[in-house]
Amino acid sequence: MAEMFNTNERLLKSLEERAKELSCLLEIEELLAQTDAPMDTIFNGVINAIPSGWHYTDHCFARITCQGRQYIPAGRRPTSRSYKAPIEVNDRTEGYVEVYYDNDLEKRSDSLFHEEEKRLLRTIATRLGEFLSRRQLTEILQDRSGNRLDSFTRSGEWRVVVDMLRVTDEELYVRIARKMMTHLSMNGVREVEEVLHRLGSEDSVDVNGNRPMQRSNTYNIMLVSEEIFRIAEENLQDVDSRALIQQWMQEDRAGFLVRTLINLDTSLNDISEAVRRFHHLSLDSLDLPEWTRQGLKVALVRRFLTDQVEFIDIAKKYVEIKDFITLIRKLIHPVSSRGKVGGKSAGLFLANRILKQMSAEYPELTDVRMPKTWYITSDGLHSFLQHNNLEEITEQKYKGLKQVRIEHPHVIQLFKNSRFPSEIIQGLSMALDDFGDGPLIVRSSSLLEDRLGAAFSGKYTSLFLANQGTKRERLEALMDAIAEVYSSTFGSDPIEYRSERGLIDFHEEMGILIQEVVGTRVGDYFLPSFAGVAFSRNEFRWSPRIKREDGLIRLVPGLGTRAVDRLADDYTILVAPGQPGLRVNVTVDETIRYAPRYMDVINLDTNEFETVEAEAFLKEHGAELPAVERLVSKLEDNRLTHTTLLNLDFEQDDFVVTFEGLVHRGPFIKLMQTILRVLEEKMGVPVDIEYASDGKRFYLLQCRPQSNSMEIESTPIPQDIPENAILFTANKFVSNGKVPDITHVVYVDPIKYSEISSHEDLMTVGRVVGQLNSILPKRQFILMGPGRWGSRGDIKLGVNVTYSDINNTAMLIEIAKQKGNYLPDLSFGTHFFQDLVEASIRYLPLYPDDEESVFNESFLLDTENKLPDMLPEYRHLADVVRVINVPEVMEGKVVRVFMNADVDEAVAIFSQRSGQTTSSGLKKRSHWHKDQEDHWRWRMKMVEAIAEQVDTERFGVKALYLFGSTKNGNVLPDSDVDLLVHVDANSRQKKELQAWFDGWSYAMDEINFARTGHRTGGLLDVHMVTDKDIAKNRDYAERINSPTDPAKQIPLGKHKSGIRHGAAPIGTSDVSE
Amino acid sequence: MAGKAFNPFEMAQAQFDKVAEQIGLDEGTRELLRNPLRQFHFSIPVRMDDGTVKVFQGFRVQHNDARGPSKGGIRFHPQETVDTVKALATWMTWKCAVVDIPLGGGKGGVICDPHNLSMREQEQICRGWVRQMAKNVGPLNDVPAPDVMTNSQHMLWMLDEYEQISGYKAPGFITGKPVGMGGSLGRTEATGYGVIYTVREALKEKNIDPATTTASFQGFGNVAQYAIRLYNELGGTVVAVSSWDQGDQTSYTFRKTVGVNIDELLAVTDRFGGIDKAKAKELGYEVLEGGAWIEQDVDILIPAALENQVTGETSKKISDKVKIVAEGANGPTTPEADVELERRGIFVVPDFLANAGGVTCSYFEQVQCNMNYFWTREEVLTKLDEKMTTAFKAVSELSRKKKLYMRDAAYAISINRVAQACKDRGWC
Repeated sequence: MAEMFNTNERLLKSLEERAKELSCLLEIEELLAQTDAPMDTIFNGVINAIPSGWHYTDHCFARITCQGRQYIPAGRRPTSRSYKAPIEVNDRTEGYVEVYYDNDLEKRSDSLFHEEEKRLLRTIATRLGEFLSRRQLTEILQDRSGNRLDSFTRSGEWRVVVDMLRVTDEELYVRIARKMMTHLSMNGVREVEEVLHRLGSEDSVDVNGNRPMQRSNTYNIMLVSEEIFRIAEENLQDVDSRALIQQWMQEDRAGFLVRTLINLDTSLNDISEAVRRFHHLSLDSLDLPEWTRQGLKVALVRRFLTDQVEFIDIAKKYVEIKDFITLIRKLIHPVSSRGKVGGKSAGLFLANRILKQMSAEYPELTDVRMPKTWYITSDGLHSFLQHNNLEEITEQKYKGLKQVRIEHPHVIQLFKNSRFPSEIIQGLSMALDDFGDGPLIVRSSSLLEDRLGAAFSGKYTSLFLANQGTKRERLEALMDAIAEVYSSTFGSDPIEYRSERGLIDFHEEMGILIQEVVGTRVGDYFLPSFAGVAFSRNEFRWSPRIKREDGLIRLVPGLGTRAVDRLADDYTILVAPGQPGLRVNVTVDETIRYAPRYMDVINLDTNEFETVEAEAFLKEHGAELPAVERLVSKLEDNRLTHTTLLNLDFEQDDFVVTFEGLVHRGPFIKLMQTILRVLEEKMGVPVDIEYASDGKRFYLLQCRPQSNSMEIESTPIPQDIPENAILFTANKFVSNGKVPDITHVVYVDPIKYSEISSHEDLMTVGRVVGQLNSILPKRQFILMGPGRWGSRGDIKLGVNVTYSDINNTAMLIEIAKQKGNYLPDLSFGTHFFQDLVEASIRYLPLYPDDEESVFNESFLLDTENKLPDMLPEYRHLADVVRVINVPEVMEGKVVRVFMNADVDEAVAIFSQRSGQTTSSGLKKRSHWHKDQEDHWRWRMKMVEAIAEQVDTERFGVKALYLFGSTKNGNVLPDSDVDLLVHVDANSRQKKELQAWFDGWSYAMDEINFARTGHRTGGLLDVHMVTDKDIAKNRDYAERINSPTDPAKQIPLGKHKSGIRHGAAPIGTSDVSE
Repeated sequence: MAGKAFNPFEMAQAQFDKVAEQIGLDEGTRELLRNPLRQFHFSIPVRMDDGTVKVFQGFRVQHNDARGPSKGGIRFHPQETVDTVKALATWMTWKCAVVDIPLGGGKGGVICDPHNLSMREQEQICRGWVRQMAKNVGPLNDVPAPDVMTNSQHMLWMLDEYEQISGYKAPGFITGKPVGMGGSLGRTEATGYGVIYTVREALKEKNIDPATTTASFQGFGNVAQYAIRLYNELGGTVVAVSSWDQGDQTSYTFRKTVGVNIDELLAVTDRFGGIDKAKAKELGYEVLEGGAWIEQDVDILIPAALENQVTGETSKKISDKVKIVAEGANGPTTPEADVELERRGIFVVPDFLANAGGVTCSYFEQVQCNMNYFWTREEVLTKLDEKMTTAFKAVSELSRKKKLYMRDAAYAISINRVAQACKDRGWC
């Protein structure tokens, strides 16, 4: 028992000893790691640390003698009871480290030093030797840039370094010898030619062709190296040689990073490791030669950001290697990942770097921040799929769009119920710790996204997270959101979009960007004070004084989501930063009418993204919102004033969101202008940014090329069109767009209009236009008229219309025709400018008197006018308002308008149909169903089925007609089917018939949704007419004998009532009066 | 060709000629009143934000100041013509005379489009305008006011420039200023209340108790809202109100036969007088088509929205019960409709009398500024009531005595007043 106790105790004792030794060694390692500390400090530290590793610590002390100096604790004298180990630097003994026991220790000398302790001391000596060797090397290296250069001119000093290298790092030695040889040879040193000759490589120099160069191996170089350095010694200045060698050595030290990066097999893990090591060695701060630096940067950009050459070319000028350290710290990636961060992240990363670098020149840029951001690499998606055995889902994109659409909700659920690989979860958990519990946005950052020519804007999901609750809940919510964003890759919209652009086979990888939401907590809500998007090129100019270069800012209160999308019921504030004084809305009335009405916010209480009414929100929380006084103006006595917070009483006062303070006072506009200008200049393309501000600081959220994002691309202007095939040309204030397949032109003759003397007639012209707007095919006609459409003041200045009178036109054209020596001003669509923008109706001003432009007045005046046929009651205005059916008078041709803002030119030509019925490129074409033909075909089939099955007797149906787009075969995915039913029925029958049609209508809408993703709430538009209507040719009955576009009769089936009574579709049974 | 074009000044002259004939004005006076006394045309050079200089054309027309300083707005419009300005100046003369305020008629403008101008540039135009006109305008001479595309801000710039030049404070130089900066209380209510003061007097003459009457309004803007409020205070019941729906781009008539509750309706109304259709339904209002306001079985119709609303056609739909049409808007009735109303004996309070509350309040603003003492809202409204009532009685009496249609009587009385002033001064 006692023995056992003794054994245990011994074991314990010996373990304690080992632990002491280890901690001693660690302490010494720490000291030696202080590369910057003076030698004396370190060595004194070491002698103080050593005793702790020895058994009789209290009686023990150490001494170092090295390079002629001695380090010993004050008051100690060497004793005889000692043990010593040599310090060797490059195989030469440079000194000793010794341990002594003082004479107070009453122990026998022979048993004083344990074997372990002796070994420990030897280890310490070795470490000290290595330390000294590294010190020497660094000192030499630093001399190049240091001031000590002058004092360090001893001849042949560099040879010491080279010799040292030969012993310590043979590979490096060989590389340097080779470089020296090349250097000498290039500088025409004769002797080296001979060395080269001996190496057998001179014949490869004058080889002119296909023979492979002979390999000169290391061994050979090794043999001649001494000679090379001797030649160098004789031919080069000492200083030069030293500089060269130091430079080569540094290049070589960065080499591991280059080698890691160049090797395509290395994973992000390895690269991250290499970058960290690079950083740790402080190599970034040493001046690496420019080419090495460039090479490294390019390689890093390529591995982390993108392969796109244009991007790399720009990035290498602004990105520093150390920037990647920051990136890597926030990068979540699968084990052995080879992914990138994706387009959105790369764009933001680069923009941020550019702005930081340019802040020296533009101090205001110092204040631009980037929200805290974490990234998941693009192959995270693949690893997620693999982890859950979901790989086959990538085949989704080859399925029919209909199937994709049906399956998508299932895919979302499937993804949400899948697990993430553990390294991703770990990464996300770290990210959450870093973010804290402020709201987050999870955005896609696809490799396809933001590539030149494919915008994908809004095609993939972005999700807001309130990020509230316990860590576990927050992590769950974050993973849920990421899964959902992942699943959006397999949604129908992006798949359709990709297929249209020939990108369907591109292997889709999607990065994820997790960003903190910029903003402050106000009540239960979280929101930025203001946010929005901005473009360096202004494509929607509301005044001729605004140039494209003046840019465009869209501003909203709250989250920027409302500025990105165009909304039917709300407006954003528009500002051209180059001309901030020229506002779209000038009068108080306009300013109020077009003010933002709603705000997007995050509700921290419910964890929901919400849209709230701006006025109500500000009434309640206005005073808490930072910078609110720059957002709103006070409305008092029909006057808007920008005022200080002191004068704003949100509960009492009336106020309007105008951003007056932001735009006209303070640095915001100038900052935006600088950002847009700098980014456009440096990125070499017009840019489109997203931004937000919490009221104090300004954040850049996104940056991408603008041409991608506007969806309205500049159109090449067809050249060499014979003048007789042109309707008009324009060369002033042209925006971008294309308006294909115009079948009707409505022309209000400026001269005739100015001759009207009765006010009533002038008003009537507006009503005529309004009626034509409702009967002409939507987006297939253009309105051309004098001066200002929608003039609210003097009606003589332009036709009096409201937006609803023109909302179906494809284009609004204002003609400035010279009157005497006076050229009328045009409105530039200002009256409903914002409505035009949201509906994407193109606007163009024409100056027919301009000598350079073509204006085919004879076509407009001399072709047949359809107005008397279409609207007989306005026959008397036929010489003022002319309606021209283009295909009828131009042998089936249509008018196509091409507009290009880059060259400021537009032309309208007569041409064959393009087969594309959409306007201005905003609606998308689908290749899935061979476009309209397919949309049309199944609609026709359904109509025939309806005609076949309608119970004529029961409902009193006499005939069925088809009109509108389905009849004409120009069907869009969301087009409805216009039916005209000739009935002879009582009201009960009519109700039942309507219900019967409603059943079909809903069913067809459902089918259409599955096919196209468009839901309209009912696809049939049924109009019933009676004998009386037809006789009087009123209401829709006029369609039957319409001169322009008569309805088509569809033969009815022979179904009688009785037997099929119970089989009537949905909804008929419970109809009663 | 150009002669055929619509010319507002020729129209104003034709209107004048008709009345001059009726009241038998002599040739010399006719000639004087057919044309403005003075017209100013001048250039306003402005240094634009980009450093270039642009020259704008400015106008001021003083049609007649026999009864007092000219009064009239300043318009910023890109296609302003001197003919428009002359016509509007003429109408101002008649408008001031019909309510018997001691002011003449004027109008001015600048050819420019504020949509293409920054605020600084607009300020320069305003100041430039005053620099050119300073000698010929002033509190005792010619008093401008806001008009198309100008507002209180423009007025303050102009006032400031005028005071800089004249070297003394002269808040009475211009009207339409914000309260606290020389503006008058009661301004917001003035026009709407004015309409009802005339309606009240009309009912009094017809011996009808307002509390037994019903009314239908077209429009639910500032004028209609205050008119309804005062009419309710008199005990009247508003049955229907029409309002423009911005979303649907059409107007609707909101009907509640037991009577519109103005406060409950205002709670569902936007800043432009647009009533929320759905919420109004919830409140028990019937939503009818826009034109239905005119067909209601009421005693009083008040068009208070747009021009040309009571036309030859729509006037046929007016119920037999209707006794009074009070024109809150400018020019709501077409000449064809006038014929119909006159035929049916419906009593019309013509626009430039019914809605003269606005200009009367501008006059009060000027008066208060000149004495640098400001009245309470009640004082303003009481004085307004007096002015409007007196003016109405005079027109009505003339109409009765001379058997003139109310509109003709109003013109006759005002033109006669101006002509008399000219004569008294020995001008003609």
